[in-house]
Amino acid sequence: MRIFKLLTGPQTLGRGPLFWSGFLLVMIVLALAPQYLSRYEIILFSNFFISGFLALSLCLLWGYCGILSLGQAAFFGIGGYAYGIVALNLLNLHENTMLAILAGIVVPALFAAFIGAIMFFARLKGVYIAILTLVVSLLFQTFLLQTADPSYTIGAAYLGGFNGLRPASPDDPLLPSLILGFGSATIELDGRSYEFFYFVLGLLCLVYLGLRCLVNSSYGYLLVGCREDSDRTETFGYDVRLIQLSVFCLSAALAGLAGLLYTAWGTYVHPKVFDVAPNILVVIWVAVGGRKDLTAALIGAIVVEWVSLRLASEGEISLFVLGAILVAVMLFAPEGLVIKLASLASSLRPKRDRAAATRVES
Amino acid sequence: MQTPSPEVAKAAEPVIEVRDLVKVYGGVKAINGLNLKVDAGELVSIIGPNGAGKSTFFKLLMGIEAPTSGKVYFHGKDITRLPCFRRARLGLGIKFQNMHVYQELSVFQNLFIPLRRNHKPDKIPGRVKVLLPQLHLEGTEEESVHRLSHGQQQWLAIGMSIALEPEVLLLDEPAAGMSAEETRATAEILKRLNRQGVTIGVIEHDMMFIRLLNARTTVLHYGQLFAEGSFEEIEQNENVHRIYLGKI
Repeated sequence: MRIFKLLTGPQTLGRGPLFWSGFLLVMIVLALAPQYLSRYEIILFSNFFISGFLALSLCLLWGYCGILSLGQAAFFGIGGYAYGIVALNLLNLHENTMLAILAGIVVPALFAAFIGAIMFFARLKGVYIAILTLVVSLLFQTFLLQTADPSYTIGAAYLGGFNGLRPASPDDPLLPSLILGFGSATIELDGRSYEFFYFVLGLLCLVYLGLRCLVNSSYGYLLVGCREDSDRTETFGYDVRLIQLSVFCLSAALAGLAGLLYTAWGTYVHPKVFDVAPNILVVIWVAVGGRKDLTAALIGAIVVEWVSLRLASEGEISLFVLGAILVAVMLFAPEGLVIKLASLASSLRPKRDRAAATRVES
Repeated sequence: MQTPSPEVAKAAEPVIEVRDLVKVYGGVKAINGLNLKVDAGELVSIIGPNGAGKSTFFKLLMGIEAPTSGKVYFHGKDITRLPCFRRARLGLGIKFQNMHVYQELSVFQNLFIPLRRNHKPDKIPGRVKVLLPQLHLEGTEEESVHRLSHGQQQWLAIGMSIALEPEVLLLDEPAAGMSAEETRATAEILKRLNRQGVTIGVIEHDMMFIRLLNARTTVLHYGQLFAEGSFEEIEQNENVHRIYLGKI
């Protein structure tokens, strides 16, 4: 009962049976996707879901706590590299990537704790945080781009400069997909397989529902309090710096999870993931969908990714159209398209049902 | 002469005391060597012309800004270097000059955040039900704050500070922009709180409100203590009249 209250709390869109029926329907349609989509499309959808984790990470940080990070891809990249480096070193020893998965989540969170402690305890706000996080991402890219020299190896992992992470010697294992389990009981989820698709879909669903519970808990209220008026929240006895730091680390862990899944999906990670474009793209996904709601940000990421892919076949026009979409959304639905549509739909319903949508949209 | 009992002595101990407090903004002394004591359970009105340093004084008390020099004491303990949230945990509450309510949240959610500090989530709806009638906000629980009137938002802002159950409540212009009726109701809220034992400091420009409070009144001018006394004494003080007309 308490879980149900948290899932349908006022900090998230979708409280009624209509929303949850729709949610169930979408899950069934996605679960049946291998029946009607080609293998190639399934592989692409796995990647879209990975983008979904990244969008949720920024939504939590920016939408709920009001901290705009322009360097979310940095944590994605750190997660990807951490996974790759640990997997390359431990694969022969453990024959699974469980520790690598853990590293892909924990390392970005620890790095965020370091950067975040500096930023939040120095009381940095707004644009300064946005710039600092972007600079951190670009510094990583600059560093990794000049690691082509063979001396840049960490055990069995060679950083590889522009070409990306690879084994240090021909005897070392290749960068692996996800290998779950322990001892002899392991299962390998190849990025191109249906199993990987289902694993990522299931995990995304769990993380989404978990985050819904989180933002509707007391902690979620505090996040929103910090977003709305951090000075006021501090006068109630809350150490705003710790709240900001904790959500920054949590968001980095989620971005790291996306990064490690990306590395496992393509068995490849390269310095381009730290570039300006991937960083800005996350902001576009979340802004287009609606930053103040998890569902909206998630839909935004998947739809924008799908649209960009469709447009990609048309050449350079893809980026132009994406830019035009962002400008149009900012002009006509600054709160985000999904939130705008939800509020339009709620205006057709009786007043009582409108409460949740109104809170998110305003 | 009788020696006061320990209880009386304790009750008379200043709950808040500032010594030689100075705050300089870009060469301007907003607070200029202020010394002031507030006893436990007192209601103190603080008045003064614009720029007298009233709001700055509250910010220094609450730890929102650090003084250039001087000390702030709470129950005799030096809290000058304590950050704002630690002072709040000690028992200091504030309502800022600007409203500072969470505009995008409902009335219930606005009260949830301060109440959560001292109460478990399942106890909060009950606490909100007790608070709302005291604040003349019955029936607004689910209302979005931006739909409330200005006066209701002021009451909510006061209510959020009360929800923290502070020992000392600092209110910067609680009656600003209120109608005469709302001003009277606000004064009643504060007097009732004070009777319940909360020490209250109020900054206000509205003299009708200060008259309604009818409390010890402190006049600040150029960041210094200019005059002090009962409201009647201050009302009849020629010098106070002059500073308000800009003659001193």
